[in-house]
Amino acid sequence: MNLFGVLDINASALTAERERAEVTASNLANAETTSTPGGGPYKKQLVVFETERPGREDFAQTLSRFGDLHARGVTVEKVVDDKSPPVRRYEPGHPDADADGYVSFPNINPAEEMVNLMGAAQAYQLNVSAVQATKAMISETLQILT
Amino acid sequence: MGNTISGLPQIDWANVQLDVRQPSPDRTDFFQTLENAMDKVQEAQAGADQQVAGVLQGNGQDLHTAMVAVEKADLTFQMMMQVRNKIVQAYQTISQMQF
Repeated sequence: MNLFGVLDINASALTAERERAEVTASNLANAETTSTPGGGPYKKQLVVFETERPGREDFAQTLSRFGDLHARGVTVEKVVDDKSPPVRRYEPGHPDADADGYVSFPNINPAEEMVNLMGAAQAYQLNVSAVQATKAMISETLQILT
Repeated sequence: MGNTISGLPQIDWANVQLDVRQPSPDRTDFFQTLENAMDKVQEAQAGADQQVAGVLQGNGQDLHTAMVAVEKADLTFQMMMQVRNKIVQAYQTISQMQF
């Protein structure tokens, strides 16, 4: 892997953090959503990150992989529903209320989601800095020739 | 003093084997390599171009992927320029040789 490969690793992290921010934004937007196309209240979404798996490769690529340091990027493996039960509030006038007058709201804490969003933004910034550092390294290397 | 001056032996030019090496056709010379490198640069630039166009047209292209592609194209171009400078420098050194 050369320095351009390092750029790819940080770029994969940028994609992953973008998706995390996306899911968090969705959670924030739907914090009070009581009805969904699938029925029931909105379920809080959680992203699961995974180390990038090598794609289809031929034997030469497999062999060359043993030479490098097994550096890998990150991908979003899946987005899962939060398991926690919905919050029930007594609102008999609400159209989504059940027979007892209770409405199920998603178990989303906006403050928690905001912290998550800040985490994603910081991690994104971090990886942009890493890309810039790698870029500077490549530029410096090219200066050897002059 | 029986030293006589004799002429140089006649050279049979018809049977002289000159050791001229023909480059074998499957050998890639340096300029071939350079040409391939320039193709790579072109490829990187075309890729970056396409991605930036994708971002500007708003068809869901990731912004950072386009940015990284542009940077990669820039750096490959700079690398090619450095190699080119080095070659020109070497050529000038040779052409200014004094005999």
